Amino acid sequence: MRGCPSQPVVSDVLAGVLFALAVYWAVGATVYRMVVWARTASPLPIPITPAPRTRLGVAGRLALEVFAFRSLARANATTWIASLLFHYGLLLVMIMHLRFAVSELPLALLPFIRFSGWALLAMISGLVVLLLRRVLVDRVRYLSSPSDYLHLVLLMVTGLTGALIKRVWPTDLFDVGMFLRGAVTLRWQPMPEGLVVLIHIGLATLLLLIFPISKLVHGVGILFSPTLNQRER
Amino acid sequence: MSSSHTAVAEPDVQRHLDLPGTLVEDWHDKAVKRLGELVDSRRGLRVFLDTCTKCGACTDKCHYFLGTADPKNMPVARQDLLRSVYRRYYTLAGRWFPWLVGARNLDKALLQDWYNYFYQCSECRRCTVFCPKGIDTSEVTMAGREILASIGLGQQYSQEIITKVNRIGNNLGMKAPALANVLENLEEDILEDTGVAVKLPLDDPDADMLVVTPSADFFAEPHVDGLIGYAKVLHQASIRWTFSSEASEAANFALFTGQHDHMRDIALRIRTAAVKLNVSRLVIGECGHAWRVAYSFLDPLVGPMKFLESAHPRAQHICELTHELLEAGLITLDASRNAGKVVTYHDSCNVARGAGMGNKEGGQLTIPRELLAASVPVVVEMSNDTTGQRTFCCGGGGGMLTDDLLDVRIKGALPRAQALRAVVQTDQVTHLVAICAICKTQLSAVLPHHDLSDVQVTSLHHLVGDALVLT
Repeated sequence: MRGCPSQPVVSDVLAGVLFALAVYWAVGATVYRMVVWARTASPLPIPITPAPRTRLGVAGRLALEVFAFRSLARANATTWIASLLFHYGLLLVMIMHLRFAVSELPLALLPFIRFSGWALLAMISGLVVLLLRRVLVDRVRYLSSPSDYLHLVLLMVTGLTGALIKRVWPTDLFDVGMFLRGAVTLRWQPMPEGLVVLIHIGLATLLLLIFPISKLVHGVGILFSPTLNQRER
Repeated sequence: MSSSHTAVAEPDVQRHLDLPGTLVEDWHDKAVKRLGELVDSRRGLRVFLDTCTKCGACTDKCHYFLGTADPKNMPVARQDLLRSVYRRYYTLAGRWFPWLVGARNLDKALLQDWYNYFYQCSECRRCTVFCPKGIDTSEVTMAGREILASIGLGQQYSQEIITKVNRIGNNLGMKAPALANVLENLEEDILEDTGVAVKLPLDDPDADMLVVTPSADFFAEPHVDGLIGYAKVLHQASIRWTFSSEASEAANFALFTGQHDHMRDIALRIRTAAVKLNVSRLVIGECGHAWRVAYSFLDPLVGPMKFLESAHPRAQHICELTHELLEAGLITLDASRNAGKVVTYHDSCNVARGAGMGNKEGGQLTIPRELLAASVPVVVEMSNDTTGQRTFCCGGGGGMLTDDLLDVRIKGALPRAQALRAVVQTDQVTHLVAICAICKTQLSAVLPHHDLSDVQVTSLHHLVGDALVLT
């Protein structure tokens, strides 16, 4: 019952530790990757030309890639649309998850709540198309390793469990927030109730663990790509 | 399954370049170590190996894949030949769960694949244009070739050419007296043809401008007609210029093999010659990768070249120069002199995607076209997903222009041939214009295999020279 929290037991602490480690690892290891990229020399300028000649121009070029997936649009329309749906769906869902950073729901997030269902739908349908493509298109199937399928499945199941929590087996989000904030600040709280919630948090933990050591780092990696971030001189 | 049977470099050629003569005993460990060293010293390589998400956007963009239908010619698959080894030895996931992430041990079969497929990439960067992360397969290919050469498996064609440049001064092994002879003969030809005494100076110490051109321009067809065009333009503009017998080669094959130190040595010849001849301007002839090196790498490798005049502080392309002269009214072109020709322009990969031209973004695409439009009455464009930044490589670049790769070269030219055929059918195109020595040789050789022998491969400056009002 809210306001009368029970004492955390061993399993709660273990779960909290695991989550906290995953968060610190995700942040720390990603920063490490970025440092390694940044410190690796770029001996010769290799922008793909025509390229902008000013830093502002390069920033614009990168922004087009990061926000509109410009090169992907040139390459393949289906993949581009599916990818946009997935990534923006994910972004909106992640923004919604910011509610767990504080104990009271920030007013700024209210508009996002309206569209959270659509965001989740976009995310999952994008993933479905990408997975179907990976299985059905010969060229793409050829170049895929097990992890390429698993990444998509992992994200999809995380999203689906999230949808289940939203629609079928709602849980007390306050307790969820307490657990997550507690874990990250090392003040262990009881795990929230509900199997689906625990699975969802478990999958999210797995995502955090693999993010820095997998292709998922492309999110930040693209910023270091010399063909895109170097200017023509 | 397509095969690259390009001959492995002979022992004395390798040794000349301070490389092992044959495959070394401990090739596995040496190769893995060298891979690590390259990843540590080239940010592009590291980022490209790390950030690929296997999205497949690149897969149907490579002319060799389109021509051979060999899945390992898909850019991502080509990169994976190296990436799988990088993951195995240098990443957490690859060390602990190789089967999960497609990490592989470097065994003999994979080494063979490296040699096979890194010599089925012309390093044209078309794939990069379509990659959401800007992954440049050519950087992976260059690294792969560098590693192969370092364990004794260089390519005879490229390595031999590099030794010829070092020993004699150009890719063809043409020595100074032979070069002087060729130039004299060309002067006679031009005089006979036009009645004007256009000179082709060699090692003139009073010259203001050094022109460095691919050695094929001195004698090959259709290149030499371009050379004649340069000479006519320079004559008409009353520029004091010269060739150099010591820098008689614009091409820089060490670019193809990823051997940066050799690339620097070859580039240094140009700088040394420019300083020795006391010139204040440097101009590069019609050559694709030479232009990429001159535009993008000369300063980092052997610059800054402070001896160049402030109005032109870096190497210029001959097209840039001619364009400048045309805009300034110092030369006049009369397109009617080329009446009857229907031309289309082939953008060479290194020019389109690896360099700029003039001071405008995209000048490398517009300047040659403006010259062409001024020289020929009818110019047709091929489909725009095959030109400009998306141009299809001729199929013979990046160290592939050797007879033992002819089969792959013919197949690689398929997309370009298809685009050309379309305009031959709709507009009766008679000439294909290019500003790259390799493109000119390659396309002349392979277009007949695609039933396009009626289209003449032509140097841009051939048409300019013919349109030029020469006095």
